Amino acid sequence: MSKNEIKKLIDKTVETIFFGTALLSASFIIIIVLVIIQRGISPFITDNDGLGPVNLVRFLTGLIYLDGPTFLSNAYGIGFLIVSTMYNAFLSLMIATPIAVLTALFIAKIAPRWIADILRTVIEILAAIPSIVYGLFGAGVILDIVYDLSVIVGVQSAAGLSVLSTVIVLAIMIIPTMTVISEVAIRSVDKTLIHGSLALGASKTQTHFKVVLAAAKSGIFTAAILGVGRALGEATAVSLVAGSNRSGISFNLFDTTSTLTSTMLLGMKETVGLDYTIRFSIGLVLMVVILLTNLSLNFIKRKVGNVYA
Amino acid sequence: MLKHWTKRKLIDGVFQGFTYFFSSISFLTLGLIMVFLINQGWSLLNFDLITYNYESNTYLASIERFDDPCDCSPTIALEEGVIYSEKWGIGVSEGLDLLGQPSIVIDYIHTDSPFKTLTNKSSVGPETFPLLKEYLISKISYNDRAASFARRGAARLIDELDSSNSIYEIEVTTKGGGIRGSIITTLWLIGLTLSFALPVGIGAALYLNEYAKNNQFTKVLRSFIEVLTGVPSIIYGLLGLAIFVPFTVALTANSSHPATGGNIISGALTLAVILLPVIIRTTEESLKVVPNDYRYASLALGASKTQTTFNIVIPGALPGILASTLLAIGRIVGESAALIFAIGSLVRDEITLTDKSTSLAVHIYSLMTDEPANIALSSTIALIILAIVFVLNLTIKLISYRFMKGRLGAQI
Repeated sequence: MSKNEIKKLIDKTVETIFFGTALLSASFIIIIVLVIIQRGISPFITDNDGLGPVNLVRFLTGLIYLDGPTFLSNAYGIGFLIVSTMYNAFLSLMIATPIAVLTALFIAKIAPRWIADILRTVIEILAAIPSIVYGLFGAGVILDIVYDLSVIVGVQSAAGLSVLSTVIVLAIMIIPTMTVISEVAIRSVDKTLIHGSLALGASKTQTHFKVVLAAAKSGIFTAAILGVGRALGEATAVSLVAGSNRSGISFNLFDTTSTLTSTMLLGMKETVGLDYTIRFSIGLVLMVVILLTNLSLNFIKRKVGNVYA
Repeated sequence: MLKHWTKRKLIDGVFQGFTYFFSSISFLTLGLIMVFLINQGWSLLNFDLITYNYESNTYLASIERFDDPCDCSPTIALEEGVIYSEKWGIGVSEGLDLLGQPSIVIDYIHTDSPFKTLTNKSSVGPETFPLLKEYLISKISYNDRAASFARRGAARLIDELDSSNSIYEIEVTTKGGGIRGSIITTLWLIGLTLSFALPVGIGAALYLNEYAKNNQFTKVLRSFIEVLTGVPSIIYGLLGLAIFVPFTVALTANSSHPATGGNIISGALTLAVILLPVIIRTTEESLKVVPNDYRYASLALGASKTQTTFNIVIPGALPGILASTLLAIGRIVGESAALIFAIGSLVRDEITLTDKSTSLAVHIYSLMTDEPANIALSSTIALIILAIVFVLNLTIKLISYRFMKGRLGAQI
């Protein structure tokens, strides 16, 4: 073999190895989907060690997490969890979106440069804080505030463990992410649009709110999609402030709540059998919920986005 | 006309005020978080915390270097009330144990003291361990005289200790509440995860940026990797539970410490999958910074594609690869949900790669889900985690500005 051929052989081998790593990286999403589907479906089609298969309709629409004693019953229902998960996520999105968008507008267009730099650093620090620390902050500070608030308002609250605490913690967590993406969107608004608006006699503030934000709508939707995805999937922080409600739908802000993720975490330490595999089914439902939310938000984004494009 | 202008200005002012108000919320949040953590956790933050075990245990132990009293004078000024034995090199005072009973507390221990190495005679716990500050002594029995008991006071204990030449056995209660085990686990997780994820991630980035043809298949590969970033970490936890835990159990079945459930290796494999998209994206950004002229020049000089990749492209992209490594470490330190599934949330002091234990973040989760929740220690651990994350992010920013013209941008 000539020197050239050896070189070519090495090139080919190295390329194949790199290709293999890329293929491996890409294959994990398929593995995840397959594993969750396979494990998640098994409680509905197997006998579950004598407990009998779980009723799928009851599972998806049930208002009681487990009717009967653990390990002895197959009457699982997570309908109320699906509703409360979406409810919590969308409330937190309602709080986070105005804050994130206006902060982004402030950083990108209004603030003096040095304030913008400081604020951007603050946002980056907030984005880097791990979720468990937000959960700790929620358990140590927000629970107390919400409890005091409930006393003032005059409603019952389980030590502050409530929808409101969950929503606040989730909102705090998604604001940095949403701000960063909204800022990029606001910055990339075409300068000619802004100049046009100003030339027509609109004030700076009018331009910011009526032209810049409208033109950045598509990017802001992207931020909302990422934010709601994170809010739906957040587990540990939520489990520390939600109060692990086990049944019933309640839209009262001061009632305890729970989400798909916090229920998956609950009692994870010491569980086997159906109580263990059912967590995969909840995970499967969670993935479907996230996927459907993403798709519908993307649909709305296509309908309302790009006003000036 | 003038009236109209004033009204306009007023409305503009109100709207602008909104942006000021909403922007201040982020400042306020960060301030509140830091005040809360420092207020709760600062008092526990000291060097002992990271060297001590989490569990407090009582051991019966003998002295390794038997009949070997030292002749040591204290190297630091001892506090009031501390009684020191030069013969044995320990300073003790009277205190209370966890049950409120009078006990003897170690205040100072000389580096040459024979108590530095104790052999554990109990069936559980480590084989040898050092006597450390704040450990409690409840009883010392001797070979050549009657035993000393803590309830008789520190002065008498030291007296009796000084009059003896050989110790038979000592009953020690170690101080708990430390996070040594979780720190070791976190370090193991960082090391193992990086050794799994970096080669694969960098390889994949090299393929996508240097080798891949611009076709449909490459697009699919890219989008599959991109989708991984949107998967919630609890779903990765399920992956770890379903694939990596059984995999490591099967792999270590014939080893001396077979895994039985979640373990550090399965946790590291799970983390590696979580980090792959992050590493791939950051590395790719850094590969794009390497000018194409370098590649052409190298190829034109007769170097092969492989030589160009390893001698020109990778060295040029090294700052970016370093940045992606630091970013990955930050994520490992902060990850909780996936690890609760893939390893478990049992706090351990003796760390085995094939057994359960907690990282720092999961240690917080474990403390907060206990009854009652331990907010003080959790805040201290949170401060340590935040310090690590901030230093890493600062370094990434420096690298990004210095070498990559800010190409890494904001990392979210």
